[in-house]
This record gives sequence, structure tokens and C-alpha cells, in this order.
Amino acid sequence: MARAATLLRGLALATLVGWPAAGSPSSFAVDAGPAIPARDDEIVERLPAHVGDAAQRRAARAAERAQRARLQAHPDELGLALQAARDALGRGRRRGDPRELGTVEAVLAPWWKQAQPPPEVRLMRATVHQSQHEFAAALVDLDALLALPALALQVRAQAELTRAGVQQVLGHLAEAEAGCRRLAGTAFIALGDGARRNALACLAELASLQGRDTAASAALARLANAPSTDVPGDAPGWLQLMRAELAQRRGDPAAGPLFAAALQSDPDVYTRCAYADWLLDAGRPGEVLALLAGHEAADPVLLRVALAERAAFGARDARTRRDTRLLGERFDAALLRGDRSHGREQSRYELDLRGDPAAALRLAQANWRVQHEPADAVALVRAARAAGRDAAADEVWRFLHETGGRDARLAAGGAAAGPFLPGPTAARDGLPMNGSPS
Amino acid sequence: MIRRLLAALALAVIAGSAAAHKASDAYVTLRVAGAEVSARLDIALRDLDRDLDLDADADDRLSWREVRTRWSDIAALARAGLVPIADGAACTPATPGNAPGAEAPPALAMHSDGRYAVVRLSWHCAAAVRQLEADYRLFARTDPTHRGIVRYARDDGPLQLAVLGPGAGPVRLHLPGPPAVATPAAPDTAIAVAAAGAQALAASPAFATVRAAQATGADADASSGPAAFGGFVREGIHHILIGYDHILFLLSLLLPSVWQRRREAAPATGRMHTRWVPATDGRRALAGVLKVVTAFTLAHSITLALSVFDVVDPPSRWVESTIAASVVLAALNNVWPLIAEARWKLTFVFGLVHGFGFASALKDAGLAQGDLVSPLLGFNLGVEIGQLCIVGLVLPLAWSSRATRTYRGAFAGGSLAIAGVAALWLVQRAFDLSLIAG
Repeated sequence: MARAATLLRGLALATLVGWPAAGSPSSFAVDAGPAIPARDDEIVERLPAHVGDAAQRRAARAAERAQRARLQAHPDELGLALQAARDALGRGRRRGDPRELGTVEAVLAPWWKQAQPPPEVRLMRATVHQSQHEFAAALVDLDALLALPALALQVRAQAELTRAGVQQVLGHLAEAEAGCRRLAGTAFIALGDGARRNALACLAELASLQGRDTAASAALARLANAPSTDVPGDAPGWLQLMRAELAQRRGDPAAGPLFAAALQSDPDVYTRCAYADWLLDAGRPGEVLALLAGHEAADPVLLRVALAERAAFGARDARTRRDTRLLGERFDAALLRGDRSHGREQSRYELDLRGDPAAALRLAQANWRVQHEPADAVALVRAARAAGRDAAADEVWRFLHETGGRDARLAAGGAAAGPFLPGPTAARDGLPMNGSPS
Repeated sequence: MIRRLLAALALAVIAGSAAAHKASDAYVTLRVAGAEVSARLDIALRDLDRDLDLDADADDRLSWREVRTRWSDIAALARAGLVPIADGAACTPATPGNAPGAEAPPALAMHSDGRYAVVRLSWHCAAAVRQLEADYRLFARTDPTHRGIVRYARDDGPLQLAVLGPGAGPVRLHLPGPPAVATPAAPDTAIAVAAAGAQALAASPAFATVRAAQATGADADASSGPAAFGGFVREGIHHILIGYDHILFLLSLLLPSVWQRRREAAPATGRMHTRWVPATDGRRALAGVLKVVTAFTLAHSITLALSVFDVVDPPSRWVESTIAASVVLAALNNVWPLIAEARWKLTFVFGLVHGFGFASALKDAGLAQGDLVSPLLGFNLGVEIGQLCIVGLVLPLAWSSRATRTYRGAFAGGSLAIAGVAALWLVQRAFDLSLIAG
């Protein structure tokens, strides 16, 4: 009796003090009913944060305002508009905010709809289209640019690289590799070491996607360890990210520290989500929540947060359900405006959060018709397995067989896989429920 | 991923930002009644800050003061952003858009990606509206990728949907009803969705609140006042009556209250032991019931409040599992009593956990940030009413049949059955399985 009472007292105590205050103002369900905040000093919205301390942030904001004012006074000044567009793209990448793509279009409005805009504008337009998953439109502009006989070397290099990126997403690996090989050639030698390192990394990445991943891994490691003659300092974040993603595809635990290093030098939304996926696969949802706290405005971040909450707190937890619901609303909103570029992520939402493998499979199939990145393959294979329709993923196996690609995440149990021979065992085995990357 | 390389080329900062945040949308509800047109516009504070520089102290956060004091500018921007055109002639503003307080007070609404300013506008048209067009211009100069998600109806008819791009010129809204003239093919900037589409949309969670508002005939602001309070009372009653775990917990504690423990010698052996016998003192039995009920009420009220005010927010897997465990223990305590007389202590300790369970239901019911006190009181009141109904139903029955053999059988068998069911709950909640309902 005394022991029971002690036990009960202990339980009560745990109930009261066992969890830190959640304290986030967003822990209530969405309600579109209007409300009037009670206090004047209540914070009603957090804006995308600027980088640096208070003074630097203020200065950055002031600079943005000044730039906007100058542009309003001189909307036809190309140099000014291009600088504003580049700044907007940089912010968009860091924060993962598609509004900035609208800003690019707005500042370049005088040239945006032209059939033959200035090359820099055309390159920018291709980049915006690429970011909006309008790959065909992006290729039209890039091909036209590269066909120009006289084009500034920098613009040509960037166009080659952007085009290689688009071709890689589309699964045209040979096309992409040809572009990177041109970029690594003597024609671009005047651009210096930085451009060459980009070309080499691009080639290594494509080699890794075609089964030559040991050589690719070594090549990327060499690039990371040989300091650039142009840009001193540690290996840049993008290079560490490439190495991390390659290690992840190979099932190499070295991926973790590489992701962490990439995040250190380049804390953007993409890197954050990539690292979160790796942590989710490793069964470390608590770290995911710490990593992503405060960045939930971005849809891919919210998806990982909900997956981590599900793993850490359970599917019935109020937080899991709230964020799952929010995510659903954002997908609905995207659908309303005709944006179907979220297929990969939405498939994962249907599969891992809503438990609807049939819907997940439909989305993953539609996505695979457009994109052939490793994560697209993972999405389709997982959805097909969960829906009990292994044959639906045959296209993925065929593609991997043709290109020579391999990915440990596609193998049963997550162990490193040999060259892909989609045997019945590999196809039938289930995957862990929580958090496979997308 | 090659896309990431683009950021690395120092020559031109161009980055592929995958679609990420929710894009910029404004939500417009527009109603036509005779010659009057009225609208509610929900515009993201994020977007308003970009155009109006609301963040006066440049701390990357918007306080309610910063928003409220600029309300006339916000209303003017909204006013300029939407012009209804009735039968070819623009309607005239019925209230000056820059007179704060003239119509609805400044208010905010939560959407899936943050807070939105709620602006109400109305117009006066020359005659009863037959054909309606909307000239949507919001953010045309700063974000061409912005969209207006417009739901519109004549009188209280079903809402139809159109998605409007800014600056595309007047777009026909296909008003139903006798005065309207049906027209084919909307311009390509408007995706007019037929009734079926709008219904599908209405079924999506994003528009649940709109549906609710339609049902009450109001415009989605029934979040306060007596109607909402009553709603939370009903929600509380509903929750305890459908929450079998709470009912079984209470039942397990109430069943022995019509008995008392008596220490006596066994007729055969003469050894002293304690056993249940029918209670003789009605007042003492009632006092026991009151203690149990009060302890439960106090305990769950404490944790319900703590959770709603975000002081503690334990994972639901833990809460739900512990609730199941509490039912097991309470039921087993009847068969093998550990705490026979002072059951209110047991009730209090586990009541704390049940309170967390109530909290997640209350959060699901949709709390708008701001006024927490009245939903909390209403919901708790509902729980108490439901609880008293159960007590009022069970107690007289138990009292009148307490001396019968049936009751003794039902007591032991029922307690064991309850413990069994709850043990299954415990397993499935702790391990996220689904074995039985509940």
C-alpha cells in the first residue's frame, strides 16, 4: 500500500514536471475566424528573419527598402533590376520562400514577357521556371541562350550548369553529363578555379548517379580537401551536401557528420530538410525537432516536423495531428492555385502521415512522370510497396537498371545495396514506417 | 544535386529554390445581394509587410500595434486590390476604405501559414447585379505569382470558386440564380470551378471553418460570444460521453461505492479477513461518491488548464497509455483492493492524466488564440455535466441492487472485463497498434 502510494505520487509528479513548457503560440488549431489580439505588444507574425545581429538585420532590411525605392523610381534600369532579382533569389533559396520568385518576376517585369529578353534576364527567367518545376519552359530559354554565338562567358557557364541541373532532375543523365563536361573544358578556363570545381563536382555527382559511386565519392572528397585557389576557407556547404547525399545513397553513416558540416556553412531550407530526412531514417526524431524549430513556415520543413512528431509523440498526439492538418491545408491551397510541384512531398504526407498508400502511389507516379531524382525513386518504390502494388514501381527499377543507379534507401532494411537487380525479396520486404526521405 | 551547384558559382548568385513555403494567396469571400456587393479579404501579413513596411522597428516581427496603427493603409491597399464590376460598370465603395472602425474593427485570422489581416469591404452597384466581374489587382506590381482564392455567391447560395491572378483585367464570376446570365469559358487566368468542384473543396479541411460559418449564416466570426460558449459546453459533454476510457474509469470507481469493507471471521476457518458487504449508511456512501467525483473534477481541471495554457504538454502517446493504465488499475483495485476506502486519492492522481486527454480534445475542437478562458470554462462545464449524468444514471441503479447476487457478479465480472479492455487499449496506445476500437 505504501509502495503503491509512493508510485502514484511519483507518477503525479512526472505528470506535472516531466515536460518542458511547449510555449509556442502556434500550438492551437487553425481557425479562420477573425480575432482581435488582446494586447498591443502581442507578436502577431514572425517575418522571414534577416541574417546577423539586430543592427545587421536592421541594415539589411533598410537596404532592401532602399533598393525597392530606387527600383520604383527607375524601373527600366536593367542593372538595378538584375541585382534586385539576384538578391531575391538568394533570399528565396535561404528561406525556401516561393514569394521571392514572384519578386524576381516583378522587378524584371519590363523584360519578362519579351520573346528575346537580354541574356541575363533570360537566364533568370529560366531559373525561376526551374524553381517552379516548369522544366520545359526553363529548357526553352536555356537552349536559346546556349545557341547564341556571342554570350558573356559567365552567363554561358551558368546556363550550362542550370541546364545540367534541369536535365538531371528530368533523369536525362547523359545530357546533363555532356553539359558538365563542356563546362570542365578549356572554353571556360578564363573563369578560374571556382567554375572548374563546380564542373568537376557536377561530373562526380552524375557519375555517382550512374553506379560509379566509389570513384565519385573519392573525387568529391579530393575537391573538399584541396582548398580552392579562388575562394579560401573550408570546403563550401554545397560540396559537403553533395558528399552527404552520396553517402546517404550508399548507406554510409559518414553522411551524418557531412550533413552537419553542410548545414554549418549553408543553413538553408534544403540542407536542413536533407539532414532531417537522414536523422528520421536514423530514428532520431528528437534531433529533427531541434533542427527544424522556428523554420516551419516552409512546407518541406513542416512535413519533416510532423513526421518527427509522429515518431516521437505518436500519431494521436495533438501536435502531430495539428501539423498534419496544417500541411494538408497547405497542399489544398497549392492545388487551388494549380501548383502540382509538390508531388514527392505530398506522396510522403499521404503515406506516412495520413496512411493512404493508394493516394501516395498516385502522387508518386504522377511525380515520377516528371522527375527522376533519387528521392523521386524512393517515393515511388515506397508507395508502391505500401499499396501492395510492387509492379507500379517497375519504371523505377528499369530506370535504375539503364542508368546503373543504386540507392541504399531502396533496399530492404536500409542496408547498403549492390547493383540493382530487383529481386522479389527486395520488392516484397516492407520499409520502416517512419520517415524515409523524399 | 546539381541544382545546388548553381548557388556556388560566385559569378552569378542563382539558386534553385525548390517550391517550399506556401505561396502567396489571399482568401476572398464575396457575396452579392441585390445591388450590394460585400467581401471579406484575408491578406497575409507577410505580404502586407513587403508592400507597406509594417515592421516599424525592423525587428523581423510584427506586433499588433504595428499592424493596427497602419490599418487605414491596409484597408486602402485591399480596396485598390479588388474592384467588382456589375454589368459593365464598376461598383462604388459603400464605405470609405480608409476610415478605420467605420465598419468592422481591425482583426486577424489564422491560416495554415500564418496570420492574415481581415478586411471587410462593401460596394454599391448601379442596379441589382446581373453579371459580375472582378478586377483583381492585389500585389500585381510586387508579386505576379500571388493569387486571389475567391469564393463567391449570390445571397446565401452555395459558394463558387475562382482563382484570380493579379492584374489580368476583369474576370467574369459566374453567379448563379435567376438574374444571372450563364456564360461559357472563363479567361485562362481564372479557373472557375463548377459546383461539384466547390463541393469537393468545401469538404477539405481548409474550408471547414467556412462551412461552419455558412451553417450559422454568419461570416466566419462566431469565435466568441454565447453561441461559441455553448458550443464548447456541448463539445465537453460529447467528449466524455463518447470517451469510453473516461466512462469506464469513473464506472470502476463508482461501482464499489455502494458497498463497504467489513473485517470478519471466515465461518469455516475462523481466520479474519476483509470483504465487500452492501453499504448500510446511504449518507456515507454518497459522501464517498462525492469525494471521488470532486477529486476527478479537480484533478482533470488542473491539467486541462495547464495544457491549454501550454504550461505542460506531454506527448499524447504517454497520456493515452497512462489513461488506459488508470482504467486497468481502477478496475483491478475493485477485485484486489489496494486502496479500498480512500479511492478519491487514486482518482485524483489519475484524474490529472485524464485532464491531458481532455485537453487534446479541446484543442481539436479548434481554439482561436486569444480568448482561452471561455472555451476552457465551457468545455470543462460540459465535461462535468456529462460526468454527473453518468453518476446520476449509475448510482441509483447500483444502490438499489447492491445487495443482490447479480450486482456482486456484475461487480467482479464487470471489473475484470473493464480491466481486460483497458489492457488492450494500453498495448495498442503504447505501441501504436490498432486492435480494438477506442
